[in-house]
Amino acid sequence: MFSTTVLASAFAATATALAGDASTLLAGWAGLPAPGSAGLPAQMSPRGFLVHTLNGLYFGFILFMIAAGLTIIFGVLGILNLTHGELYAFGAYTTVTVMGFLVGLIPPPTDPATQLLFVAVVVLGAILAAAIVLPLGVIIESVFVRQVYDRHEVYQLLLTFGLLFVLIDTIKLFWGTLPRNVGAVYRGVNAIPTTELVGFSYPSYQVFVMFIGLIVFAVLVWFFDRTKTGRIVRATAINREMSTAIGVSTNRVFTLVFGMGAFFAGFAGAMFIGGPAATDLEMGLNPLVLSFVIIVIGGLGSLQGAFVAAILVGVVSRWMTAVYPPAELAAPFLIMIIVLLVKPEGLFGTWGEIE
Amino acid sequence: MLEARNLRKSFGSLVATNDVSLQFGKEEGEMVFIVGPNGAGKTTLINLLTGHLDPDEGSVIVHEPDGAGGTREQDITGLEPRERVDRGLVRSFQIVQVFEEMSVRENVRIAVLANQDLQGSVFSHHDRHEGVEREVDELLVEFALEDDAETPAEELPHGDRKLLDVAMSFGLDPSYLLLDEPTSGVGTREKERVIETVVEVSDNQDVTTVTIEHDMDIVSQYADRLIALHQGAVYAEGDPSLLETDPDLRRVLLGVEDE
Amino acid sequence: MSLASVLSSLPLVVERDEGLRLRLLSGLELDRRQTGLLIVGIVLLFAMPDLAAILGFSFRTVSKGLMLGMAALGLNLLLRHTQLVSFGHALFFGAGAYAVAVLANYGGVTSSLVLLIGALLFGTTIAVFVGFLVAGHREIYFALLTLAFGQLGFAIVLGSQFFNFDDGLSVRIEGARPTLAVDSLLGAELSTAAYRILLYYLTIVILLALLLFTWRLANSPFGKTLDAIGQNDLRAEFLGVPVQRYIWTVFILSGAYGAIGGGLFALLELHVRPQPTLHVLVSGEILLMTLVGGFSTLLGPIIGGVIVVYILDLARFQTEFHNALAGILLVAVVIFFPRGIMGSSDDIRAGAVQVREDPSVLGVWVRELGARVRGGLRNAVVATKHLLFGAR
Repeated sequence: MFSTTVLASAFAATATALAGDASTLLAGWAGLPAPGSAGLPAQMSPRGFLVHTLNGLYFGFILFMIAAGLTIIFGVLGILNLTHGELYAFGAYTTVTVMGFLVGLIPPPTDPATQLLFVAVVVLGAILAAAIVLPLGVIIESVFVRQVYDRHEVYQLLLTFGLLFVLIDTIKLFWGTLPRNVGAVYRGVNAIPTTELVGFSYPSYQVFVMFIGLIVFAVLVWFFDRTKTGRIVRATAINREMSTAIGVSTNRVFTLVFGMGAFFAGFAGAMFIGGPAATDLEMGLNPLVLSFVIIVIGGLGSLQGAFVAAILVGVVSRWMTAVYPPAELAAPFLIMIIVLLVKPEGLFGTWGEIE
Repeated sequence: MLEARNLRKSFGSLVATNDVSLQFGKEEGEMVFIVGPNGAGKTTLINLLTGHLDPDEGSVIVHEPDGAGGTREQDITGLEPRERVDRGLVRSFQIVQVFEEMSVRENVRIAVLANQDLQGSVFSHHDRHEGVEREVDELLVEFALEDDAETPAEELPHGDRKLLDVAMSFGLDPSYLLLDEPTSGVGTREKERVIETVVEVSDNQDVTTVTIEHDMDIVSQYADRLIALHQGAVYAEGDPSLLETDPDLRRVLLGVEDE
Repeated sequence: MSLASVLSSLPLVVERDEGLRLRLLSGLELDRRQTGLLIVGIVLLFAMPDLAAILGFSFRTVSKGLMLGMAALGLNLLLRHTQLVSFGHALFFGAGAYAVAVLANYGGVTSSLVLLIGALLFGTTIAVFVGFLVAGHREIYFALLTLAFGQLGFAIVLGSQFFNFDDGLSVRIEGARPTLAVDSLLGAELSTAAYRILLYYLTIVILLALLLFTWRLANSPFGKTLDAIGQNDLRAEFLGVPVQRYIWTVFILSGAYGAIGGGLFALLELHVRPQPTLHVLVSGEILLMTLVGGFSTLLGPIIGGVIVVYILDLARFQTEFHNALAGILLVAVVIFFPRGIMGSSDDIRAGAVQVREDPSVLGVWVRELGARVRGGLRNAVVATKHLLFGAR
């Protein structure tokens, strides 16, 4: 069964791999694009190139974690969930609250033991935040989306579009309009040295997120390929009638998948807000649209496709910040247009089937 | 005349059409039936002829009169389905394909409008083209659908839906009509009515029909010529009496292998 | 001579079995009741500025609603006929608005008619390119792609100095508003109120023309062929219909409607910013208008446009949580009135009759709804437990 314990043990293993000497250098802003953000000044020395690439990978991994949930939901339910970006924002806000509490409970990360503890707590906090978002996704599916499964897709789009507005104001109700962040997490994880791992100074938090992203990818692939539940979900995606015939409750599968999608959206929000960034009431929109672009590039419903496309989009848009900043926001769309012209079904194109 | 020349099509390791060369309509208005077990490549052949699929090898040729008493070959292999429709190549699908929310009359009208190249007209009223309406009425009568003219297609009984589907094809004024199991899913008593109607109308209009059919009684009763496909290739071709005279043919059609 | 025979000698009046009819277009003939409604409607539209002053509602909001309603009318060409969902229609609305701003700013164009033609040409050109790329796609793919192209336009404008980033461009030239066609007749420079009223009249003239054209299109062979494509594009292709080219064509048309609406919007606001013209939320609102009004009807998108814009504007002043209000409205419309206001009028009337005959039916409905929500929540609790703590 898909459960949090799997993720937790995987994260702990990563945390161990990250322990080492201390040194930090903020190599550049690498959050999601904000309007007009210019990024670093152009410095395309080999070293600068490497830093931009790493920033791009960091960005790409966060995008992947968002897009993964979206593409799974699309692949199985055939529904484009427009609340996905808000679930991600919800994860970020929840993380601010949860981490603010957790970080105060533990000693500062000064030696390997406390550093290990710190990373474990960060991972735990992210999982906790995501677990809080999960029921939200489940409610969206079982109370609302379920009412419109058998209708034209315009209703499904508009229903989730309406819920998107409601979620924005729910966030406003709980957390207000001011930007929030948890600098302690970023500082804390960066106190852990990763210079030896990367070869030069680079913020450990970014490296940490890339590892987590890889693990999330591996866990998802494992889930859909190797577990019984995962296979049932795939079977449902491929042929609903058939799975109903063999006694699978499609309604149940749909709810579970929506919950999973919400979990990963929330988790991506947690990873994002742990970095050098702050929350914002509109923070869910851009990642939502970028996730659409990513799943179009990768092929709707394809997990591998989402992974490759997210990394591609992340790296290319970070390169753009160095080469030609105005194109940063447009670059992902241009990739999408090229893919559409050359391979309309996406790089790994599979319809309603998780590969 | 419509000709398939060395058509070949595979899906992965499955060879669905294996070097098929056939001619249809050498005698104008002939009625050809294609028979064969499931998976013999019958539908694939129709898909290749009508442009729903592109062949791996081979070509589809139309022989048209050149105006001087002879004929001229025209290779239509790369053409879009709708461009083949312009050359008189029309098909139906095994599953009824009609415009479900439209009435029977509207369905037929769409086909006739398309045939008369009025489909793109913006500045006229859809039901005020006299020539079109006349032809729609004629088709409704020919297919005995006039009483249901205002019924939405989705509410028709299955046999009538099949007839509507074929009526729309005839609205295109076809030279070659390819029908993929026009009687599938139709009850035994209805079957007779459906096929009788199709035969009658195509006889009247001298249309060459190529029909996939599983019911051997229908085939022996109506076929001018029979083509049996097996494992993607032409297994037998000739008079429908082959069904009685060729003992192997029966076995192949039933899908019984002797290996 | 009787009145009837006098009337029937008019060029627009024709005689049918049922009596005299007003003939607007071939096939569009109105009986007495419809003619009456049409006249009342047009009078109301032209009296709107005075009505607004008397009844105290915002006339500017109504104008804005009609302009966005035009975009919705265009979007509905795709939705109603080809059953394709465009989730990026703000692109054309924004293109029209920005074309006006750019022509005024960089080209020094002052004539509003030239500005509007510019808006139409620019928006249509964009629709030609986007339409070419999306016409081969269907269903959710189409929605996704249009959304992405809409957001691409937003990103380009936001990142570009030419469009002055987030701050946008003014439509005024050295403080002066563009001229409307009749200014010169009136002599002195128009007051703000007079400018808005004239612009409003220009808007409704264009709107009426668009409505007539839309009706013509919907009832033409082309419109019916588009319906056919929407219901079964495979069959349409095998009837010889150039499906992709037709979708492309109707996409361009629908973009042109949006561009005109956007151009008028720029003339109304006199300052064009990316957020209220190009943002993905605007695309969503345009779609929402179509649905609220009723996408299976001709007038639905326009009525939906006015209602949605009015509610959103009102909500902004009334509550901090106006987003949630809009969202709840949308969810309610989707679940309870999927055919919109114009499309559900029979249902609403039937419901009202039921309540009048037996008010307790309301209680039954509320209980049914409650049971549905409770069922959903119960299911949610079970699923959450299952996901977080494994199967029982």
